[in-house]
Amino acid sequence: MTMVLGVALVSAAVVLFIVQPVVKGLHASLEREDDELTDTEARKRVALLALRDVEYDFLAGKLDDEDYRSLKSELTAEALAALEADEAARAGRAGTAEGGTAVAAEIDDLEAEIARIRSHIRSGLVCASCGYANEEGSRFCSSCGTALGGRAAS
Amino acid sequence: MTVLGEFALWISLPVALWGMFLGFAGGRTQRGDLVLSAERSVYAVFLLHLVASIGVIAAFVGDRFEYWYVASYSNREMEIFYKITGLWAGQRGSLLFWALLLGLFSSVAVFQNRNKNREFMPYVAAVLQTVLAFFVVVLLFAQVNPFERLDFIPANGQGLNPQLQNYWMTIHPPTLYLGFTAFTVPFAFAVAALLNGRLDARWIVLTRKWILTSWLFLSIGIVFGMRWAYEELGWGGYWFWDPVENASLLPWLTATAFLHSIQIQEKRGMLKVWNMSLVLATFLLTIFATFLTRAGLIESVHTFAQNLTIAYIFLGFMGTMLALCTVLILYRLPQLQSENKIESFVSRESAFLFNNLMLVGAAFAVMWGTLFPLITEGVTGQQISVGPPFFNRVNIPIGLVLLALVGIGPVIAWRRATKKNLQRNFSTPFIVGLGTAVVLWFSGARHGLALTTWSISAFVLTIIAIEFWKGTRARARIEGEGLLKAFFHLVTRNRRRWGGYIVHVGIVIMFMGFAGAAYNVDTKHHVMPGDVVEVESPMGHTYELTYEGLSVSIGRGQRNLMWQMIASVSVQVDGRPTGILTPEKRSYVTAQQPMTEVGIRSTPIEDLYLILAAVDDTNAALSADASAQGIDLQVLVKPLVSFIWLGCLMLTLGTVIALWPSADRRRLESEAVDAAPATAGA
Repeated sequence: MTMVLGVALVSAAVVLFIVQPVVKGLHASLEREDDELTDTEARKRVALLALRDVEYDFLAGKLDDEDYRSLKSELTAEALAALEADEAARAGRAGTAEGGTAVAAEIDDLEAEIARIRSHIRSGLVCASCGYANEEGSRFCSSCGTALGGRAAS
Repeated sequence: MTVLGEFALWISLPVALWGMFLGFAGGRTQRGDLVLSAERSVYAVFLLHLVASIGVIAAFVGDRFEYWYVASYSNREMEIFYKITGLWAGQRGSLLFWALLLGLFSSVAVFQNRNKNREFMPYVAAVLQTVLAFFVVVLLFAQVNPFERLDFIPANGQGLNPQLQNYWMTIHPPTLYLGFTAFTVPFAFAVAALLNGRLDARWIVLTRKWILTSWLFLSIGIVFGMRWAYEELGWGGYWFWDPVENASLLPWLTATAFLHSIQIQEKRGMLKVWNMSLVLATFLLTIFATFLTRAGLIESVHTFAQNLTIAYIFLGFMGTMLALCTVLILYRLPQLQSENKIESFVSRESAFLFNNLMLVGAAFAVMWGTLFPLITEGVTGQQISVGPPFFNRVNIPIGLVLLALVGIGPVIAWRRATKKNLQRNFSTPFIVGLGTAVVLWFSGARHGLALTTWSISAFVLTIIAIEFWKGTRARARIEGEGLLKAFFHLVTRNRRRWGGYIVHVGIVIMFMGFAGAAYNVDTKHHVMPGDVVEVESPMGHTYELTYEGLSVSIGRGQRNLMWQMIASVSVQVDGRPTGILTPEKRSYVTAQQPMTEVGIRSTPIEDLYLILAAVDDTNAALSADASAQGIDLQVLVKPLVSFIWLGCLMLTLGTVIALWPSADRRRLESEAVDAAPATAGA
């Protein structure tokens, strides 16, 4: 008897639970949320991440000057294109809020980080021969001894 | 409870089918009510399977031997722990357990996305329910219903195979199933992307953590299985290229390939079709693994032939999925075009691609080696065995190339690498690798393959160490931080990359452990009490083993044990006593053959592994004849086995680091949650 009751109860609960939305017209949203990462935003983020990695790789002495320059100009162009596409997309969706807070903040963060690395590289403290990032005021590389010239910004 | 469980299993089928149809229909017509109903049905199926599983466990605990499954895998004398884990001890229960875990993950995925990524969810719910419905169909209609009743009630059950009564064996299958089932979620998202046409890297970004989680469980599950084989099977090995092992390795290989190739799609917008194919292949291989291990195919093609229904259902499902997904991929082919081209052969993209080819190649070889004997037996009726030599000959070279790629891949620049880049990054590691080989050669390690493995390992570890050092140093300079802090920030700011490196270190350590097998020592001695056996280890230690004697205890069937013979062997290493090992033979009510319990003394560099291979006169020993003490003692020394378990720990650590949500994001998300009520109120 208890078993029959249990069985009846379980089936009734299940049927009610899954049929209710259709009968009562409860709707799940199918829209894309505003704070969701958009395609263009995603591309911008990926480009910036790649750019940051290149900067770090150069700083860590894993890339030489030539590779660094060509990769950097390619990636910068990509990041810019993504940025423009993102702005165009945003203008197209006029009225929607500025992108997801988390993503926007992450992108700001990345941009600031890249700027910091670049200023370090530009200051001429990064050895052109081995890539070692030297203390401020150094005239010779602490790692390989090469004279540090105030290399112009690229 | 058990009756309720059986009923719950039955009604889970219409509920799953309902969810499947409504999910597809809701996605197609964009009707939110249908979609909500489909999503709710996912939760419902999970709860129903939970009730069903509790029903099976209740039957085990209550010794309800009228159920075939309980009678076959339990008896009154079994410990309660093994009665509970009886849920996954045999084929029928594991299929239900599989469905339960799949339902759990499906529910988590639906719940996570209840307010976001909505354009995917109708199809995700539909695909998840399709797979669930398939498992319920198998359970109900393939003569593997765990609730099937016998015509009579046996007085007692047959009990569990004692080899399965082992700690590792109770956690090994669930861990693997977690890995297998978790992979259904990325598959569902991939199919959803094909259906809703959002074919950028979005579905990959959304399921990255699912892929990693699944991969982690697969890896740990495989290693648990190795550990079980090592401790319990009593022949001193951890891997035998046995079909059951291969079945779990196959999806791991393709999942590993997938884990790497999605990075190319994320970064460069390439390999879209390839990634779709890999996610489909990995999913099908997880189903195939169940088919191979849980459809009875492995034991013998002949017993298998008695129940062909299950084969038809599995093959039908896999074939249908393969066909439908292929059609979908072909239909979306124009949108799956690559956004970029590989610019140079010497670039990270091509290293990753090469890694993919190797992994998929290994998967094909393993699959062929596993299926060939089965097919041959099916066709000719002759049992043939492909055996470890085939697998080793094919997979060891592939493994070594992959090992080298572990070092090369992450350091080669994206897009293209110049000669200078290569020189700069690889000269030191190359010298270290070569130096290691020379040093090992002169210290007497001259086994070619082992030497190659260790030399490549040194090369890779040097590369990773340099990466960490250079990264830390650069960060310390730029941000003006101390080295320790810089190191910590380096890892936490880019968890995927540095977590990945730690996983790689784990893999390298495991490979070093595998190569240790080249120096295994295996000797057999006939000994009487008081005899001393001396064994030289390849690491230069001398083991002096004194056989102290045999003790016999006769059980009365508690825990199904009939008798137990314990050989005491005291161990001295280089003259220092280090304790006693007790290899055993045990006889269980539930098994025909006596079982071997080995004695293991494990150290970081080598394991001493003792097997009580034979007792001179078992009957005399059992009747307490004091003179019947002669035994055959098998002594194995196994170098570097601990490295395998250590490597697995590193792999877990690295994956957890890569999975950990980043601090910034967590902070921002909690801020967003805090801010939400305020905006809502405004």
